[in-house]
Amino acid sequence: MSLLSFCEWLQETDVGTAIREGALLYPIIGGIHLLAIALFGGMVLASDIRMLGWGMRHESVTDLISGLRVWKWIGGVVVVVTGLLLAWCEPIKMYHSKSFWIKMTLLVLVGLHALIFRRSVYRNTEALDQAPSMPMIARIAAGLSLLLWAGLVFSGRLIAFDS
Amino acid sequence: MTVPEFMQWLSTSPVANAMNGPEWAFPMVESLHFIGFAFLIGTIAIVDFRMLGLAMRRQPVAQIASDLAPWTRIGLAMMLITGPMMFSADAVTYSVNPSFRLKMIFLAIAILYNFTLHRMAVRSEKPGAVGMLAAVVSLLLWTSVLGAGRMIAFV
Repeated sequence: MSLLSFCEWLQETDVGTAIREGALLYPIIGGIHLLAIALFGGMVLASDIRMLGWGMRHESVTDLISGLRVWKWIGGVVVVVTGLLLAWCEPIKMYHSKSFWIKMTLLVLVGLHALIFRRSVYRNTEALDQAPSMPMIARIAAGLSLLLWAGLVFSGRLIAFDS
Repeated sequence: MTVPEFMQWLSTSPVANAMNGPEWAFPMVESLHFIGFAFLIGTIAIVDFRMLGLAMRRQPVAQIASDLAPWTRIGLAMMLITGPMMFSADAVTYSVNPSFRLKMIFLAIAILYNFTLHRMAVRSEKPGAVGMLAAVVSLLLWTSVLGAGRMIAFV
């Protein structure tokens, strides 16, 4: 089975049809997707700002990273699940959309980013807080996080405009 | 100049022409609008989660709020620039769109609330139960702004 024929099959499944043809389902799922980006994307931004030394100086990196970790995870799951549902109702369009594939590539990079910086940054916040100045590795992690984050928003928004 | 005349003029203004020019213009501005609301609503939500006792409990509410305030303002500024830019692109249609009108009402209330009652709760010595109520109202208001905004494209 080719990827395209899988997309064709997926589009005709009951779930795909329900989201596509139900008048309110699509905007509601889209709204939850956006809300999760706002609530939890903002938390990612706050942590990045702190590690880049742009602000939040009264909060320790530890408090920001571990104090918000649960919510970032919950938010991430909500964004991914609602995003999958949105893609589910028009997989053929996604298959042909350049922006969709760019976004998927960026998502893979987000996963890699989390893995690569896990030990040195995200599970090492107490050492970061004790360092006299923010270590370069944490700045790099935060800068890349910001770029990936913005890239996901742009590529996601562009999917709707790909023809 | 009447309101409909103003909308007509706006939708042929240089900004509107730029927005309706290259096909990437609108999605680019819209993406900036999304990034703006992540700053605006995201930073407010962190304060609200804190007042609800759900995050960052080791820091005082007022401290978190004052450190986040510049980023909230940056978010608000982004929204107030990109929003009218998108509006101008199709001003006549948007101005009579019921979701758009609802969004503007929610937005006015949310902004007013954020800089008055919400601010008082955030700055109080021990926000406690009042703070929790203030946080819930805040989250509901911003969710309403976002929800009504999402519906503009569907009504």
